[in-house]
Amino acid sequence: MVNSLNSIEIIPDGEVIGSRTPRMHCIFDRHLGLVSLRTQGREWLYRAPQPAYWRGTTDNDRGRNGKERFPIRAAGWYSSDMFPSCVSCDATIDEEPVPIEPSEALNSQALVLKYTYETLTKPSTNVTITYRLTTTALHVAIHFTGDQALPPLPAFGYRWTMPTPAQSFAYNGLSGETYPDRMHGAHTGEFEIAGMPMTPYLVPQDCGVHMRTKKVAVTRTTTLNNAQRDTSPVTLTFQADNDFAFSCLPYTPEEIESAEHQDELPPIRRTVLTLLGAVRGVGGIDSWGADVTPEATIDVSKDIDFGFTIF
Amino acid sequence: MTPKLQWLDDPSTFRINQLPAHSDHITYRNEKELQQRQSSLRLCLDGQWRFHFAKSPLDRPTGFEATDYDDRNWDYIKVPQHIALAGYDQLQYINTLYPWAAKMMRRAPGTVTGQDTTGMFSAASDNAVGSYRRVITLPAQWKDLDVHIQFAGVEAAMYLWVNGQFVGYAEDSFTPSEFDLTPFLTRGENLIAVQVYKYSTASFIEDQDFFRFFGIFRSVELLALPAAHLTDLALNPVSSDSTIGQVKACLQVTPVTQRIHAQIFDQAGALCEEATVEAKQKTEFQLKVVNPIQWSHEVPYLYTIILTLFDSTGQVTEVIPYDFGFRNIIIQNRELLLNQKRLILTGVNRHEWNCHTGRAISLTDMRSDLEVMKANHINAVRTCHYPDQLAWYSLCDQAGIYVMAEVNMESHGSWVSQPTKPQYNVPGSLPEWLPCVLDRAKTVYETLKNHTSILFWSLGNESYAGDDIQAMNDYFKSVDQSRPVHYEGVAHNRAYASSISDFESQMYTPPEELEPFLASSPKPVMLCEYMHSMGNSVGGLGQYMELIKDHENFVGGFIWDFIDQALLLKDTNSTRPQLRYGGDFDDRPNNGAFSGDGLLFADRTPKPALQEVAYYYGQFTK
Repeated sequence: MVNSLNSIEIIPDGEVIGSRTPRMHCIFDRHLGLVSLRTQGREWLYRAPQPAYWRGTTDNDRGRNGKERFPIRAAGWYSSDMFPSCVSCDATIDEEPVPIEPSEALNSQALVLKYTYETLTKPSTNVTITYRLTTTALHVAIHFTGDQALPPLPAFGYRWTMPTPAQSFAYNGLSGETYPDRMHGAHTGEFEIAGMPMTPYLVPQDCGVHMRTKKVAVTRTTTLNNAQRDTSPVTLTFQADNDFAFSCLPYTPEEIESAEHQDELPPIRRTVLTLLGAVRGVGGIDSWGADVTPEATIDVSKDIDFGFTIF
Repeated sequence: MTPKLQWLDDPSTFRINQLPAHSDHITYRNEKELQQRQSSLRLCLDGQWRFHFAKSPLDRPTGFEATDYDDRNWDYIKVPQHIALAGYDQLQYINTLYPWAAKMMRRAPGTVTGQDTTGMFSAASDNAVGSYRRVITLPAQWKDLDVHIQFAGVEAAMYLWVNGQFVGYAEDSFTPSEFDLTPFLTRGENLIAVQVYKYSTASFIEDQDFFRFFGIFRSVELLALPAAHLTDLALNPVSSDSTIGQVKACLQVTPVTQRIHAQIFDQAGALCEEATVEAKQKTEFQLKVVNPIQWSHEVPYLYTIILTLFDSTGQVTEVIPYDFGFRNIIIQNRELLLNQKRLILTGVNRHEWNCHTGRAISLTDMRSDLEVMKANHINAVRTCHYPDQLAWYSLCDQAGIYVMAEVNMESHGSWVSQPTKPQYNVPGSLPEWLPCVLDRAKTVYETLKNHTSILFWSLGNESYAGDDIQAMNDYFKSVDQSRPVHYEGVAHNRAYASSISDFESQMYTPPEELEPFLASSPKPVMLCEYMHSMGNSVGGLGQYMELIKDHENFVGGFIWDFIDQALLLKDTNSTRPQLRYGGDFDDRPNNGAFSGDGLLFADRTPKPALQEVAYYYGQFTK
């Protein structure tokens, strides 16, 4: 079967489902999620993206000693972030299940994969990541099912790890590093940031969040592909349905959490792009127990939905 | 006089032969020197000194003050510098606990009945000693002049000898200590010998939240005094309306001073008024300025008074310039008014800090800090929790930064374990501590009294409250009717609510608790510390700004704080420079990265939060 501009080619091979559009080639794993996205001749994924719940604990999060500390109350999200538990995958073409091993490639207007994750919190809740691949783009919709009994949530988003470090990223949104309770001083604009700067807080902690972003585009020149000779810059763009927050850092929250000084962070190897549907504020009243204001906390009783298009 | 090591153990001994504090004016020999800002009456002794480090008084070199002592085996140390940063003493960062907590049983003198404090510091195994020696030759033109030595900052207690003879003893680490060397000096070479102790009883009230350094960490200077000399200058510029400003001057001069010529120039260099007065030991006169321009953050307009002293032969002996502004700070009803307008403080607390040199900072550091303040609409600084280098106050005069000048006092370690109602603390109401803390207040006032930028005196920080602190307040009130007094202990011990602070002052009060307090307080309310900028912080600043808009008695406050305190030192493992903090030096106990709470990183690069501060502060301050 021949791929055309008007449809996507789908290549199911048991646990993995390949799909090719004029712009990109994706491979979905029925257990792990989106394991490959190739466009402009480059691979853009190191591991499958996964829900993001944790942030490198801030000094204010750590606060005072004792069980009221935010990271202790929120610890269930740390394990959920560290060990994503994907419990189901619905793969459909035009609302019909994708066959396991068809005898030939399929053609369709849209391939949809919906992954459901179960959090390791007490109680547990469900998060879904739904990919909808069409001839023009890949759309991702993220859903968090709220429950007021859930522990307080440090962040909610979607973490995408690229195989090599970004050369730069550009975004439409707010200037500087912003959080829900620290964004009034920012101005709106288009910003290009060289590298993936970590804000050098004395003890490494969550940083680099940009609120109210319409679009972020990550540019890389390097790949892990030994046969790749072209080092011209290539860019992958994430366009928000409405808006999202994001951070583009060289490290996962777990790596940040483990470092006591900036120079204890590992050598920069990858790009960790986290697109955020909900962000907890940083607080500031004090650093020994004051919580962030209620408006700047994430309301776990409510569902969270956000989406974006990748091209 | 024979110096006694036991002075270290006695809070009532804190200055021996130290000259009385006086105004911080700079003296030039003549008009030409003034124009070049090069005084031949000052000789800087910064640089290399011979140095010996001992871990305890028991190991200190004795007899080292003798001119024939052989110091050839000693090291050299750069002055000014913290001894720990020269590689001798262990670094330690700790907040409220005393640095010896859980290692040495020490309770402050006066707080435990029947306690014998002898040897508490003078014979303590943890009281490190730095011994300094330097041979100097006086300039030839000083041969007929009196000579003083001024230590701008020595932490925490020092003994001074010249040519083997004991000169004096000083505590109070952050204010100048001055001694008359005239009787001890000879022509040719002179030996200056200093022994500095890490701890003395003063350490009980110098328990600031910072790195625990010791040593000669600010400049050392020799001052030459012509016979006709200005000892002290008190300027009191008053402008009750915009048409006439009166400058009352009160000068203490040496008896041989014959005449004083005084001129006032405006900022453009135009002469406003001049007068010549016959000198008395205490000379008072008044000059006026027509249509004075008022000093403020927005318009830091300064006038300059130039005083020229003449001796009986009619020769000029000294020329002294001093910059001053006209400004009026008062509390009226519930409001704080500067020049008759409501004053809102968009302030920061500032420790002196440099990630390479600790609290030994440079003029470049100071200027850089002021630029950051001006660019981000920060209009006020609290010198937490000690007086800064003298240059800072002049720079604030020029930059229009409002200063809360704080006395060097914090005794948090004496009551941290019993915060709600301390059974004991220092200075409390203890008579043995009263002279010491009063002296600190007096030194701050006498040294800094002429600085226009200083709008408030602050009695110290986190030292609870008691009769001794009330006496400090009474002292400031007795010498200075022009400035309000601040002290945050007012929030902790309401028995002193009306006698230790003109403000209600609090720290870190959440907005929802502050609001009802503002509504009910008959006094102006200040947050002398708020918005703890530790790590990724400063969220929710807007809530406080709303309260400023809603409550005329909320005068704003001082963000905690301006710059992270961390040291850029080689990491033991990687040998690369690393910003290190409490616990990174095997220092126990410590408070980790708790001093990383500035709006700037320790290397002076701004934190992202600064854009938020600039936005909100910019709503009130240009």
